[in-house]
Formats: sequence, structure tokens, C-alpha cells
Amino acid sequence: MLEARNLHKSFGELVATDDVSLEFGQEDGELVFIVGPNGAGKTTFINLLTGFLSPDEGSIVLDGDDITAMSADERVDAGIARSFQVVKVFEEMTVRENLRTVVLTERGKTWSLFSMADGHADVERTVDDLLSKFRLDDAANTVAEELPHGDRKLLDVAMSFGLDPDYLLLDEPTSGVSTREKEYVIETVVEVGREAGVTTVTIEHDMDIVTEYADRVVALHQGAVHGVGPPTMLETDDELRRLLLGVGE
Amino acid sequence: MPERVETDGETRYRFLGVEATRREAVALALGVVALFAIPDVTRLSDSLQLSVIHQGLLFGFAAVGLNLLLRHTKLTSFGHAAFFGTGAYATAVLAKYAGLQSVGLLLLGAIAAATVMAALVGALSLRHTGLYFALLTLAFGQLLYAIALGQSALGGSDGMPIRPGPANQPLLLGTTFEPAVYQILTYYLTVVVILVGLFVMYRITQSPFRNALDAIGQERTRARFIGLPVRRYVWAAFVISGVYGGVAGGLYAVVRQYVRPEGTLFFLRSGDILFMAILGGFRTLVGPLIGGVVLIFLQDVGQDVTQYYEFLTGVVLLVLVYGFPRGIVGSLRSGGVVSTRLRQLRREPSAVADWARSAGRTAERKAVESLSSLRIILFGVD
Repeated sequence: MLEARNLHKSFGELVATDDVSLEFGQEDGELVFIVGPNGAGKTTFINLLTGFLSPDEGSIVLDGDDITAMSADERVDAGIARSFQVVKVFEEMTVRENLRTVVLTERGKTWSLFSMADGHADVERTVDDLLSKFRLDDAANTVAEELPHGDRKLLDVAMSFGLDPDYLLLDEPTSGVSTREKEYVIETVVEVGREAGVTTVTIEHDMDIVTEYADRVVALHQGAVHGVGPPTMLETDDELRRLLLGVGE
Repeated sequence: MPERVETDGETRYRFLGVEATRREAVALALGVVALFAIPDVTRLSDSLQLSVIHQGLLFGFAAVGLNLLLRHTKLTSFGHAAFFGTGAYATAVLAKYAGLQSVGLLLLGAIAAATVMAALVGALSLRHTGLYFALLTLAFGQLLYAIALGQSALGGSDGMPIRPGPANQPLLLGTTFEPAVYQILTYYLTVVVILVGLFVMYRITQSPFRNALDAIGQERTRARFIGLPVRRYVWAAFVISGVYGGVAGGLYAVVRQYVRPEGTLFFLRSGDILFMAILGGFRTLVGPLIGGVVLIFLQDVGQDVTQYYEFLTGVVLLVLVYGFPRGIVGSLRSGGVVSTRLRQLRREPSAVADWARSAGRTAERKAVESLSSLRIILFGVD
């Protein structure tokens, strides 16, 4: 279980995370969506959990161990992977090379100076598997920077999956993706996540997607937890509706 | 024996993990033959000097090391002469104060010293990236230069001779040789070291370690978030690249039998090493080596022709950056700018006129730009 305990984070006057305590992964493969208006502190929260930022106060606990002081790369080893709102992939590598690099790292093989990068059969199998799961086979030999946006998003998520995480934190995997491709991206994420039993925490602005796929919804507002509950909360909580959609007033 | 592999309908040959097309294999074989033939070739003409080519290869070898950082982690070090100089001075100190005579032991000493120095400088400068990293490497390089210049034990500005033992010469296989023979034998030693060094570097650039370095160079944040302890990897690459510099410096000391701060540690030497990598083509393995030979040769010829020889290398750098950004080897490769242009020329000879026109336009634009920069510098207004 991944827990945030009383997290605080301020940037000068701005309180981005205000006493947030949340738990994820009571059940394997849980799909949690984080919603909230702009500036609610959603990305800051993910940044705190993954070690991109360190909290001013509070702690992060993974399966009973305090990991607040762990570096970002150590947290990845511990099983927490993330993606970024703006796609961050290795732009000059092909899709296959991107995934190979991730899997080599996950298997602890990147200190090998004299083996062939493409000569590890187990790694290549995993890479092929990821390519087909994320429907990137056709783009395998395309250089990342030349990919269409939807595929770039998929590659970004596939790379996070390649780390074989227990917890996957996705920062708007569908942002900037066309409506048609949105479904495709989120469905692939959900499908692969469920199959692998990965607990997924996703920031999402599209309420249709949240309603359709969420097991649980976390709503943030002005850095604090507004509410936690089933997706029906989006319909029943009038104040939340007002915050998110500006309706009901 | 070489093994044949078919990939993507192309016949390639694989030997000791080195994979090459037939064309590349032939180029490789010719290159090796040419390297070994150089002492004989230089005897034919006065304008070609073995010592110049030898020196070019040594600095080029340091550039091959530097290139590991430049090409993969995208870090620009302005202080790589520090490791060349450390290797050279370590050799001199061991010869003078420890009385070491064997070339092999002297070189091992150079490697050890350069490794320690690179580990230290790397640990202290890799907290930063980009400009600050470049400035820190420059600063450490100048620090070493100042130490070599100021310490009388290191000979100050006069430098140090490497003339150990009763023979006043380092021993190759426990034997002394006539100076002319010594020069040729040490040259062959350099060639062997370079071939081994290139082979090792080739294997490194095919390994998972290279993937980690590329990842760091292309998207540092993401590299951390796929679980790479970024600074440790960059540090390792920095040390490896420093060792190449140290080996080159050690050989330089053994060959020249004299080291001076200006020739080995001065910051312009660091600039030269960086320039060699770019000149030869930093996206290639052997480019920096060829860049080294070409640059040292140009400087040597330039010195004979004009006292403003640095102007000459400046012009070469400009032509390169504007016309052939991929460097000598990068441009000559199939698919490079040279083969593309040649094919175009064969098809349509009048293309030359277009190129001239576009080159003229570029020159004109650059001239206007530099005039306006000059105006800003002089008068503070645009």
C-alpha cells in the first residue's frame, strides 16, 4: 500500500499541498483518478509521491516503510513509476530502443559495458510484449520525435509499464490527445494495468473517462482533499460539480 | 573468424562483437593498414612528418574519450586537457622521481593518475550540467595548469624531461633504441593502443551502458524516473573518458620525452580536443581521431605559412559549423552530405550554381548579422 501522510508543500505564499493524507492500492489493480480544477495541486501531489519534489512536512509510506527520504530513482526500484503531463521520452531513440532502455534499466543491466544492448533475449521478449500490448508494433522502428502525439503518449505510458511497477502514477495521459485517440489511450492503459495488477493513479480532466473507468475518485481543491469516493460522487456532490465544471450556481 | 549475418537484407560481418557491412569492413582494414604504413609514407615526403601525425593521433585519442561524454550524455567538457596533462605529468614524475624506466609501467602510472584525477574532477563538477559544468571543468583544468606552472618540482614553465635511467630513455621491452627507431617503435605502440582503445569504445557504445548514457543525454528527468541514478552513470562515463585522455598523455610524454604546461595542460588544449571531436564528427567513433590528425596537421602547416595560423583554424571551424556540421567522417559516410551532393552533381551538374548562390546568400546574411552584432558591441545599440 502506498500512503501519503499529512503531506504539506508550499511554493512561497502558495500552498500547493495542504495536509493531504491518502491511501492507494488496498486492492491490487485499483484504478484511482485524481480530479480537481486547475491549481488544485494534483501534479504537485504526484511529484511528491514520486520524489520529484520533497514535502515540507509529512511522510510517504510504502508497504509500511517510510520512503520520504528516498531519491526518485530509488523509488522506481521500489516499484513506483510515473509518466509526465508533457511527454518525456528519449527523443532520438526509436520506440523499440526507448522500451529496451527502460527494460534494461529495470533488470539492472545498464552497468554492463561489454554485452550487446540488443543481445539480452529476456529483455527483447519483454520489449516485444510491451510493443504488442500498447499496439506500437508498427511504430517500433520509428524515432520517438517523429511519432504522432497519441503514440507518443502511449510510448510514455508503455515505458512506465516497462518498469514493472506496483504503483503507476500518470499525469494526464490523455492531455493533448484527440477525442478519438483518447479512448484508445485510456483503454489500453486500463486494460494493461488491470491485467498486470498495477495500482494506477491517474490525473484526468475528462469526466466522462473518470466516470467510465474509475474504481475510486480523489478530488483535490486548493491543495487539500475535497473528497474521496466512487465515481458517482461526480454526480452527487454539487460543490464538486461546481468546482470542476462551474455549474450549479 | 568473422561470421556472416543477414540483417534487413544486408550482408554484415560480425567479429568479436564488431558488426560491419562489407564496405565498412574494407574501410576498416584500409584504415588499419594506413596507420601501420604511416612511418614509411612519411619518409617519402618532407611535408609529412611522423611526429606531427603521431601527435595528432594522441590528441585525437583523447578526443575519442571526450566524445563518450559529448555524444551520449551531451555534456561539453572544456577541461579535458587536464587528464591528458595528468597522464603526461604522471609519466614524467614517475620517470624522474621514482626512476621508472619501463614504458609499460610508466603508462600504467599515467592511467592510474588520470583515473584518480577524473574521478575527483568528475565528482566535483558533475553536480552541474550545461554551462556550469563546462565552466567547472575549465576551472579545474586551469587549476592544474597553474600548479604545473608554479611548482618547481614539476619544472615550472620549463616543464620536465622524461629521460630515466642510464640510457636517458624509457625502455621498450627492457631495451634501448636509437632515437629514430625509438620514434617508430613508440608510434607502433600508439597504433596498437589506439586500436585496442577504439575496440573497447566500440563495445561500450553497443552496450546497455550506452543506452543509459543516451537516456541521460536525451531526457535527464525521465532517465531518473526510469530508475537511473543519473550522476553515478555520468561520473562513470566521465572517468572512462578521462582515462582515454590519460593514456594519450602518457604516450605523449613517452614519445616526446618532454612535457610542458602549455603543450599539455593549457586550456586552449582542451579547446583543441573538443574541436577535434567536432571536426572529425562527434556522432562517429573514429571521427575524433581523424579530427585530431587533421587539426594538428593544419596547425603545423599553418605555422609554416603564416604567423596568424590560428586564423586558419578559425576559418576551418566556421566552414565546418555552417557547411558540414556532422564533421569529416559524418559527412563522408553514405547518406552524409558529401555523398548526397556528389550524387546530385552527377545527375544535375548545374546544381553547383545553386549551391554557390545559396552559399552566397548565407554568407551575406551572416555578414549582416555580424555587422549588427559588432554595432551592438561597439555602440551598445542595434
